[in-house]
Amino acid sequence: MLQEVTRQAQPRRRLGSRLGEKTFAVLMTLPGLALLAAVVVYPLVAALVSAFYKQSLLFPGREFVGLDNVRAVLNDNFSQLLTQTLVFTVGTTLLPFVIGFGLALALNTRIRGAKVLRGVMLIPWLVPGVVVSFLWMWIFNANYGVLNAILQGLGIIDDPQAWLAKPGTAMAAVIVAKSWQSFPWMMVMLLAGLQTVPRELHEAAEMDGAGVIRRFRSITVPHLKGIIGLVILLEIIWNFQHFDIIYVLTGGGPAGSTQTFATAVYETAFRSYDLGRAGALGLLWMLLLMVLVVVYIRFTEAGEE
Amino acid sequence: MALLSTARPDLPETASTAAQTRRRNRRSPLTSERRSVKISAWITVGVFGGFALLPVYWLLATSLTPRTSVFTYPPSIFPARPTFEAYRALTENAALFGYLRNSIIVSVVTALLSVVVSASMAYSFSKYRYRGRRSLMYLVLASQMFPQALLLVTLYAVFSAYGLLNTYSALVLSFTTFTLPLCVWMLKGFFDTIPNELIEAARVDGASPLRIYVTIVLPLAAPGIVAAGLFAFVRAWNDFIFALTLAGPDKQTLPPGLVNTFIGEAATAWPELMAASLVVSLPVAIAFIALQRFLVGGLTAGAVKG
Repeated sequence: MLQEVTRQAQPRRRLGSRLGEKTFAVLMTLPGLALLAAVVVYPLVAALVSAFYKQSLLFPGREFVGLDNVRAVLNDNFSQLLTQTLVFTVGTTLLPFVIGFGLALALNTRIRGAKVLRGVMLIPWLVPGVVVSFLWMWIFNANYGVLNAILQGLGIIDDPQAWLAKPGTAMAAVIVAKSWQSFPWMMVMLLAGLQTVPRELHEAAEMDGAGVIRRFRSITVPHLKGIIGLVILLEIIWNFQHFDIIYVLTGGGPAGSTQTFATAVYETAFRSYDLGRAGALGLLWMLLLMVLVVVYIRFTEAGEE
Repeated sequence: MALLSTARPDLPETASTAAQTRRRNRRSPLTSERRSVKISAWITVGVFGGFALLPVYWLLATSLTPRTSVFTYPPSIFPARPTFEAYRALTENAALFGYLRNSIIVSVVTALLSVVVSASMAYSFSKYRYRGRRSLMYLVLASQMFPQALLLVTLYAVFSAYGLLNTYSALVLSFTTFTLPLCVWMLKGFFDTIPNELIEAARVDGASPLRIYVTIVLPLAAPGIVAAGLFAFVRAWNDFIFALTLAGPDKQTLPPGLVNTFIGEAATAWPELMAASLVVSLPVAIAFIALQRFLVGGLTAGAVKG
């Protein structure tokens, strides 16, 4: 009798407390969710909705215009903007990857001072974006810049160049500055990956007569596939929307040659005060970005299971 | 007992001789390859390391150059008469101290708010299972990938409507758009490492969920909470676009403040700008030295960026 009572009572109590636990778990997420809804979800949706209205930042009121803004944006140098954004994104992903991977491999060997160098190489990453811009603005300076002095000294150029003022070189300059800031992150991630490659595997392959390149291709790269995919994907997502360095270094110029989606949306909203067009640009931008984010989420999900 | 003590010294000896013979065998046929690996490692470090560190040197060297001799071409690679006059000039610039104060206030408040709000969220994600949890987690993850420039368009209008433009609140609220997802994912990683048995045991003892969270989980996760807070501080400290747009000169933080002060003038005061740049970067460097231990783990867990 007594046994039966406890057997009955126990599941009920556990169920009851579990319901309480669930309520608690949901309550715990509420402050964060409310904040995210207010400062991320709502602003994003509202900005995208404004794509369908004629609307100014300076005056209240708006007028529904359907796809007019999207059409106007597509007709107005859109392919140039897209190309430049892609060039910037690809450049600022590949260059840091090459530098970061090279350094990770080099500092994963047993050369003297590798440990100290791993720390020292992180310095560029610790520098705030605006400071990166100031520093490279000074290095690229047309009249007194150290880059001109070095290249002239080496005989590579004859006259000092205005790197940031010429459409041909401005984009390259911006890519170099951004890459300088982000390669250490690549290096750290890839080094962490390299350190998970079992040393025995390399030693065994070495015994079997596999050379350095062979071992790199058959052991290192397959082991790092996951982390390489992750860092490249994340860099693409970040660079696709990077703002600070471009804005301070060139302001999107000269002649719009370093304009990307990020700077173009900003200029349209806060220089031309045209919220409708900014929203339309943002809409197209988000569509492209969503593809990347979905790929990223699939990727992390695959990694978790 | 005696047997054990005599047997013990033997052990490492045999192990080390075995390692020695292994090493000897390995060294002989492969020395040249080892050497070429080392040489290419050094070349890589030399070339890429130069790219990494020469600009840092130039930042430092310029900040020590006298104001007048910076406008010479070609520039001297070593400042002939190093001087701290640029740093002295900074201390006499009242506007910069205003920006510094704003930066400290806004970054500290952002870090505190982000940690408090995100810790409870991360704990819920880490230790509970309920419907919609995964979707919420991915919403949080995705929300740090929405373009700031786009969010800013609406944030500006909303803050303007509520009279929040040019206030610390506007900056703190807008900074949480990127610090909150970052802290949630970092802290979830830390909570995941706390054994469930510990929580289960407290539950059996009759502790309420809130009590377990406050008295058991939070103290255990303290290092993670400090790390997440420092990360949030650094991200807030570095922000440019929100602070540039949502605040005027009296509430702006250092990054837009430095642009206002130095850029766009006819002749930029480069030594002063480089000195200011160095000073602005210092708190970040200090925070990261403190964070080093958590760096890689936190980075891979939250997939975040400084």
